[in-house]
Amino acid sequence: MKKIELFDYINGLFLLIVMFVTFYPLIYVFSVSFSASEYIIQNKITFFPMGFNFEAYRMIFESARIPQAYFNSFLYTALGTFVNLTMTAITAYPLSRNKLIGKKYYMWIILLTMFFNGGLIPNYLLVKSLGMINSIWSLVIPNAIWTFELIILKGFFESLPEELHESAVIDGAKEFTIFSRIYMPLSKASLASIALFYAMGHWNSYLIPSIYLMDLEKMPLQVLLKEMLILDTAKQSSDMAEYANLTPEALKNATILISILPMLLLYPYLQKYFVGGIMIGAVKG
Amino acid sequence: MKETVIKKSTKVKAVINHDSLLYKVRRDWQLLLMLLPGLLFYLVFRYGPMYGVSIAFKDYGVFLGVFDSPWVGLKHFANFFSNDDFAKLFKNTLLLGTYSIVWAFPMPVIFAIMLNEVKNLKLKKLIQTSSYLPAFLSVVVVCSMAIDLLSPNNGIVNRILQAFGQEKIYFITQPNWFRTIFIGSDIWQNMGFSAIIYIAALSGIDPGLYEAAKIDGCGRMKSIINITIPCLMPTIITMLILKSGQVFRIGYEKVLLLYTPLTYEVADVFGTFVYRRGIIQAEYSFAAAVGLFESLVALTMVIVTNHLSKKASSYSLW
Repeated sequence: MKKIELFDYINGLFLLIVMFVTFYPLIYVFSVSFSASEYIIQNKITFFPMGFNFEAYRMIFESARIPQAYFNSFLYTALGTFVNLTMTAITAYPLSRNKLIGKKYYMWIILLTMFFNGGLIPNYLLVKSLGMINSIWSLVIPNAIWTFELIILKGFFESLPEELHESAVIDGAKEFTIFSRIYMPLSKASLASIALFYAMGHWNSYLIPSIYLMDLEKMPLQVLLKEMLILDTAKQSSDMAEYANLTPEALKNATILISILPMLLLYPYLQKYFVGGIMIGAVKG
Repeated sequence: MKETVIKKSTKVKAVINHDSLLYKVRRDWQLLLMLLPGLLFYLVFRYGPMYGVSIAFKDYGVFLGVFDSPWVGLKHFANFFSNDDFAKLFKNTLLLGTYSIVWAFPMPVIFAIMLNEVKNLKLKKLIQTSSYLPAFLSVVVVCSMAIDLLSPNNGIVNRILQAFGQEKIYFITQPNWFRTIFIGSDIWQNMGFSAIIYIAALSGIDPGLYEAAKIDGCGRMKSIINITIPCLMPTIITMLILKSGQVFRIGYEKVLLLYTPLTYEVADVFGTFVYRRGIIQAEYSFAAAVGLFESLVALTMVIVTNHLSKKASSYSLW
C-alpha cells in the first residue's frame, strides 16, 4: 500500500487551488449570465447564479446582430478551415516526396518566411490592392497556409513507410491517386489536429476581421464581443436601459458563454487532438 | 549516368536520360501541379509584403501604389528615432517580453513537476485535462474576463480586498498594474498548454531512477531536485531558447485589448503603435518603417539567441 505523505497533501492542495483558479472566471461568467439583475447590481454573485433569469439569452436570440455574428463566425471558420486544410495538404504532400525536383529550393522559399515577414502595414496594403477588403476572402486567402502546420503535416507524410508509395506505383497509381486514396485516409488523425488549430484560429480571431471587414453585418462574434466588452460598457448600458430585467453584465457574460459554447461541448474530443497536435509538432517541428 | 533502354516493339530503341530536367519534370508533373497553389500563396502573400515593405523608404501615396511612390530614403526612420515614442516603445516592448519570460516561463515547468508527483492517476488526468481549457479561449474573452474580475465596481478581486479592509485598486487604469495583468492573464491562459511538452518529457524518465533513490533514502524533494529537474533540463533549455528569441514578439493583440490611454506609457509596444499610426491614422509609410525596424530587431534576437545557444549547449534551431 502506498503511503500518503504530507508532501502529497500540500502538492495536491496546491494543484486543486490552481484548478479552481483556472475554472473560476468561467464559473463567474456562467453565474452572472443566469442571475437576476438585482443580485448583479448589488454585487452578490460570487459563485452560484442567484434568482434564475434567462432574459440575457432571450435578448441575444432576439437581437439582430448577435445571431448574425454567430452565423458569420461559423461561416468563416468552416470556409477558412476548409481552405487551410486543402492548401496545407496539397502543398505538404509534394514536399514530402524526396525525389521531387527542386525540393530544396521550395523548402527554402517557405522556411525563410518563418523568420521574416513584411509586417502589418504591407500585408494590409496588399490585401487592399487585391480588392479583398470587406470580403470573406480577406480572412481566408492571406493566411491560407500556416508554415508551422505545413511542416507538421509534411513530417507526418514523411513518416509513412516508403513501401506504401512504392507498391502503389507498381500497381500503376499516379501521384494524385496515391495522395487522395492512400495518404489522405491514413492521415486522418494528423489532419484532425491541424484542422483544430486552424479552426480555433479562425473562431478566435478578432484583429484581422476588425481590420479587413467594414460592414457591421459581416463582423464575426469576436469583433462584436470586443465592442460589447471592452470599448464602451457605459454606452451599452444606456442602450439597454429599456430592459429593466437585464443588466449589461448579464448580456456580456451570456455572449461570452455562447461564444465558447462550441469549445466546451467539444472539449473532450478537442483536447485529445490538441495534445496530439502539439506532440507531433514537438517531435517533427 | 543511369540509362534505361526500352524496347518498343522490337525495332525502335528509345534512350531515356534519367538525369535530364525534362525527364524529371515529366515524371513529377502531378506533384509540381499540386505544389503550384501553395508556392503561389507564398510568393504573393509572404514575399509580396516583403516587397511592399519598401514603402518604409518611400512616401506612399494611395493612388500611386507601392511601385510609383517617390523614394525618400531614411526619412521615416529618422523621424521615428528622433521621436520621443521611440525610447518608450523600445523599453516597453523589451520589458514586457523579458518579464514574460522571467514570470511566465517557469510556471509550466513547476506545474508539470507538481503534476508528476500526483500518484492518483485519475486525479492527475483530471487536473491535466482541465489545465489546457483556457488555451481554447480567445484573447477577447480572456481580456474581458480579466477586466471584469478586476473591475473596481463589482470585480471579485476588489470585493475581496474590501472585505479585508483594503482600498479599492483601479487595476486597468493604473500603469503600474499593466504588466502584472498582462503576464498574469497569460499565465492563466497558457500554463497548462505549455506544460504539455514538459509532462511528455517527464513521462519518459525511467521509474527505476526514483526507486533507486528511494532505496538510498532520498526524500521526495530530493528526488525532484536530483532526478526530475536534471532530466527535464534539455527540454527546459530548448524551450527557453525558443522563447528568448521571441522576446520582441509581443502578443500586441492582447495589449490592444488591455491598454487604455491612461496606461500607454507602460503598455504601448511596437505592434500597437504600428496599428494606431498605420491602420487607424493611415500613415502607411511611417508605420511600415516602425514595423520593419521591429521585425529586424526581432530577427536579430532570434539569430543571436540561436548563436549563443549553439555555443553554450550545442542546441540550435538550424
